[in-house]
Amino acid sequence: MAAGPTVKQILQTYPGKIRLVIKNYPYKYRDFARVAAEASLAAKDQGKYWEMHDILIARSPKLDRVSLIAYAGELGLDVNKFSESIDSGKHAKEIDGDVQLAESIDLFNTPTFYINGRQVVGERPFDYFKKIIDEELHQPGR
Amino acid sequence: MKRILICVFALLVFGMAHAEQKRADVPIGDSPSLGPADAPVTIIEFIDFQ
Repeated sequence: MAAGPTVKQILQTYPGKIRLVIKNYPYKYRDFARVAAEASLAAKDQGKYWEMHDILIARSPKLDRVSLIAYAGELGLDVNKFSESIDSGKHAKEIDGDVQLAESIDLFNTPTFYINGRQVVGERPFDYFKKIIDEELHQPGR
Repeated sequence: MKRILICVFALLVFGMAHAEQKRADVPIGDSPSLGPADAPVTIIEFIDFQ
């Protein structure tokens, strides 16, 4: 699961104050979680990570291979390159690295957030994030 | 009295250390990111698109 609209709202509320970083933790028992992560990184290679990220969240759970390739087409990506990338698991190492990192910090649920290192597990309302972000912004030296 | 003060101080230090432990140190690496690298708040999201 991903928390699209809430994250969008955070970014809009705090322009220039937030750096958002995405790590993949595709749950191994969901059929298309892994290939969707590959798709996002294949789009990144073509300079359209965030566009693909947004489409994947909007269209989830329709994330089978044929759908992913159609989304790549919608975004104007080189579809052949994109298909080759997801079929070969070009970014497997990167994704495995994220999964290992997640498990090393006892993370087994998505979405999980680290706000300046403070863990937030699961989907939460905007105000929950706002409170933590405001606390972080009001720390001395920030 | 001195002993009590030392105890209070020790508890305080322990408490602060404990609060700091709640922050995880998650390396960013080459992961996709949006926004300024020196932003005061970094949010790392572990995502599963499905």
